[in-house]
Amino acid sequence: MGKARIKRKSTLIDMTAMSDVTVLLLTFFMLTSTFLQKEPVTVITPSSVSEIKVPTANVATILVSPEGKIFLGIAGEADPNVADGAWATEEVRAKALEIAARDYEAKTGKKTGITQGDIATFAKLNMFGVPLSEMHNFLQLPQAKQDEYISDMANAGVGIPMKEIVYTDADGSKIITNEFQIWMRAIYNSGNENLLQAMKSGEGIAVKADHGTPYAIVHDVLDNLQTMKMNRFSVMTALKTEND
Amino acid sequence: MAQIEQSGGGGKKKKGAQKKMSIHVDFTPMVDMNMLLITFFMLCTTMIKSQTLNISLPSNEKVEQAEQNKAKESEAITLILATERDKDGNVKTDGDGRPMNTIYFYEGKPLIPEGYKDGPVMNSNLRVEHFVGNEGGMTKGIRKILHDKNEQVLEKIETQKTRWRNKEISEEEYQKLAKEIRNDSTVSRPVVIIKATPEASWESVITALDEMQINQISRYQIDNINHLDSMMILGYLESGGKK
Repeated sequence: MGKARIKRKSTLIDMTAMSDVTVLLLTFFMLTSTFLQKEPVTVITPSSVSEIKVPTANVATILVSPEGKIFLGIAGEADPNVADGAWATEEVRAKALEIAARDYEAKTGKKTGITQGDIATFAKLNMFGVPLSEMHNFLQLPQAKQDEYISDMANAGVGIPMKEIVYTDADGSKIITNEFQIWMRAIYNSGNENLLQAMKSGEGIAVKADHGTPYAIVHDVLDNLQTMKMNRFSVMTALKTEND
Repeated sequence: MAQIEQSGGGGKKKKGAQKKMSIHVDFTPMVDMNMLLITFFMLCTTMIKSQTLNISLPSNEKVEQAEQNKAKESEAITLILATERDKDGNVKTDGDGRPMNTIYFYEGKPLIPEGYKDGPVMNSNLRVEHFVGNEGGMTKGIRKILHDKNEQVLEKIETQKTRWRNKEISEEEYQKLAKEIRNDSTVSRPVVIIKATPEASWESVITALDEMQINQISRYQIDNINHLDSMMILGYLESGGKK
């Protein structure tokens, strides 16, 4: 009697089809993805029924952390080929820092010590939030250290300060401003026509705050915008339906 | 990984016949790598772009008091938003996990009892509501109150909406008509004044603005809370008016 032979079957599975599927999926994700922009704090925006999409170009984003720290992000033209490539995002950022620093020096009489190298580093930053007096030291740090520094909410040197700056203008009258206003004006005056139009219509200013943030903190920001006559702006929200 | 197999296995083969070769390439590592990449892209992408809500505030210059109170009293409704927080400043939530946002509101002018001097205002016309939204197809909470106030506009818009749904008018026409109805001064439309206490969560402010959109209210404004408002809330809480 012959023994019952167990046939040895190969366990090889043909992975080609699987590979095809994964490559297709990968292609889909690669083409549709827009990367999450790095932000110092993660905020969960409240939801609304509004269906207007956030613009990706020509927008100044004001990020308000739950602790009341303010960060700014500047996005210029999405397509650098528009307007001869002269006004891509980095150009706008560089110009904004230059104007803001000059304005700050004129109004406070303090030196910021910002160099051309600093401006070049700054142009690469997606979001920033340090006082102008600290800007030079901050930009000298390596990138990993910058991220670490800016995400420390307990640090008093993080966030754009809303501390009053009192100065006397050419007519001799006293004017109260703050660094946040200096920044917003600098972005407004950065010379990009499309950004200027967007800011005028209200689409170019986006306020992003966490859903739990006390109104008093957000009100501070809104109040400053009102003072600068930037009465129209948009608020970032997530989507919900009317039935919620 | 890639292996060349001889077909037929060991068998009787004619001498000189060409061996058939089939090439197997093992795709498992390729799939592994692709999966990793897919995971990376899935985690890094934002598929749903966030939305925006457009707001326009009045300019910050001092407005004449008379100008401000121009709104007809019968049409005005003031919402005061408040949020309950624990001692760490976190928003409290109720049993269902909803944030505890409260809306104090009064219609028309604040009703102050005679002989009031200072301190908490007792027995004012302040009432309390919550953000509930729709329940079983019916409007509830503050939405019902705003809905009732703006009933005439909503009814007219609903008629146009039905026409649009039945393809009698195009979407642009519908949007245009809806806008006209919202701003039609011949029907009674409420004027909503939104105020928020300093502790009120940002979410409650947005939800209130949202209710304006849902209820097609065209006239609303965000205002600062004043002393009388806080005194009314205080009076309301002291009288234990939790209805």
